[in-house]
Amino acid sequence: MSRTKIVLAGEGGQGVQSIAKILVEAGYEAGRQVLYIPNFGVEQRGGVSIAFCQIADETIGEPRFAKGDIIIMLSDRAIDRCSAYVDENSIVVYDTSVCTKKPEVKCKEIIGVDANKIANEQLSARVFNIIILGVLLEATHVLELSDIKNAMEQALGKKFDAKPELRELNYKALEMGMGLIKERTAV
Amino acid sequence: MVNKLIKEDTKMFLTGNEVLAYAANSAEAEFMYGYPITPQNEIMHTWCKLLPKTEAGFLQTEDEISAGFSTIGGILAGKRAFTATAGPGNVIMQDAQSMAEMMRIPFVCAVMQRGGPSTATVIYAQQETRLTCFGGNGEGFRIVYSTAGHQDLYDYMIKAFNTAWKYRFPTYVLADGYQGKMREPVTLYDPASRGITMVPTTKALLADGQIGVDRKSAHLRNTYNMEEELMEVLEGYKADYEKMSEEVAEWEEYKAEDAEILVIAHGIVARSARTAIDELREKGIKAGLFRPITIRPLAVKPLRAAVSRAKQILFTESANGQLAQMVLEKLYGLNTPYSTLFKMGVGVTGDDIVNKVESMAVAV
Repeated sequence: MSRTKIVLAGEGGQGVQSIAKILVEAGYEAGRQVLYIPNFGVEQRGGVSIAFCQIADETIGEPRFAKGDIIIMLSDRAIDRCSAYVDENSIVVYDTSVCTKKPEVKCKEIIGVDANKIANEQLSARVFNIIILGVLLEATHVLELSDIKNAMEQALGKKFDAKPELRELNYKALEMGMGLIKERTAV
Repeated sequence: MVNKLIKEDTKMFLTGNEVLAYAANSAEAEFMYGYPITPQNEIMHTWCKLLPKTEAGFLQTEDEISAGFSTIGGILAGKRAFTATAGPGNVIMQDAQSMAEMMRIPFVCAVMQRGGPSTATVIYAQQETRLTCFGGNGEGFRIVYSTAGHQDLYDYMIKAFNTAWKYRFPTYVLADGYQGKMREPVTLYDPASRGITMVPTTKALLADGQIGVDRKSAHLRNTYNMEEELMEVLEGYKADYEKMSEEVAEWEEYKAEDAEILVIAHGIVARSARTAIDELREKGIKAGLFRPITIRPLAVKPLRAAVSRAKQILFTESANGQLAQMVLEKLYGLNTPYSTLFKMGVGVTGDDIVNKVESMAVAV
């Protein structure tokens, strides 16, 4: 029975919930069992925003899990809040161009990516989260790239049709995110 | 009449709040009254988004006191009306809910629990269990379904309307912020396709026919002059409630037949317990689940039978034993030892339950 437990955490506004929605929509459309819980505080803006996602082959029982298979931390506060979801089997990803520290956790692997820097310098700040989605996809292989593209089409299709260059930008961001994992050196 | 949107089985990927709005439409609800409070806002958002197609009604009131009383007003005017709330909103709506209890109004309310006391968190809890069952200045003549996921939300929201309109006690779908906000697949259906006949909406006031000839006069009271007069009415309610209890009480058992350690949990926590029980069984520990679906009234006979068979009980909740208090009262005379795993306003994971049950198994 395969089940992938994913924690995505960042600052409110970084687009964590947006990519979680694309991810679970892709899983649903691919015929997998999926469960997604957004978690945030009372703030309208700022604060730590966390998405708990599960993608599985069989019916999912517990909605909240104790430890994630992959935990993505996109800010210092996200590192503080989400280290509790890490165990020795977890992969931890953090953004070296946002975080000022490295997660101090015992886990299978810690991967540092500079997605924010890449987004700002090479693409657009708006696709920072899509780069992260690419990272997640390549690090877990939980879904196919085509599943994600289909879900992006569903979520953003109208915007893409109006501005085809947006589609290219988002696809490029996905690929660059995947590339960060393919070329990684463990830190 | 409203337009029903779900005419055939439709698989969708929705949040629980969205599911509830669709379910209310499938249950032929005509009007929603509400006031925004996280984590249940999307019930009214979805209800309103569907209005052009359903041709149903909606009123956003100035607060939950008004939402509760407006719902009663809508029902008295002959509409199949409902409301939804959470947390502090559920607290201040208790006045209206008590009135519904007193006047036997078929009041339907979805409660999406958030952390408490007071504003606390907007996320999740099971801390409105006692409030929803026994809030207000009354005796808790209410029916409360505690759901454990999106299919439950759809099924029991439809059922809540039928229970309310049939028995005329306030009826609740008690869920939580996780269920409201989370997304998972669900199959929506037309109740008729499942053999469910909706209990018709009837006018409480200004009904058809001539008073004294075709029908009795409607005399709805929430005020009584004499002590004995009140008690006489309430004794009648109590008798109705007790008679109804066996008909409406629902529960679910999972691997409970031969369970040595019986987990008692409701709502979404019961779902975590299922995950834990599978894992525990693989490790050779005979664990099982008793999940009250109606937490008010409780299914007392099956509960006592399951507890009698077990060697130990574990109560687990995202509250400090609100369900456990209600259950323990019904277990009077049994002496099965029990342990507790209470996480106030925090989700209980499968791992939490596995670890606790393992420690209980070792201790024996």
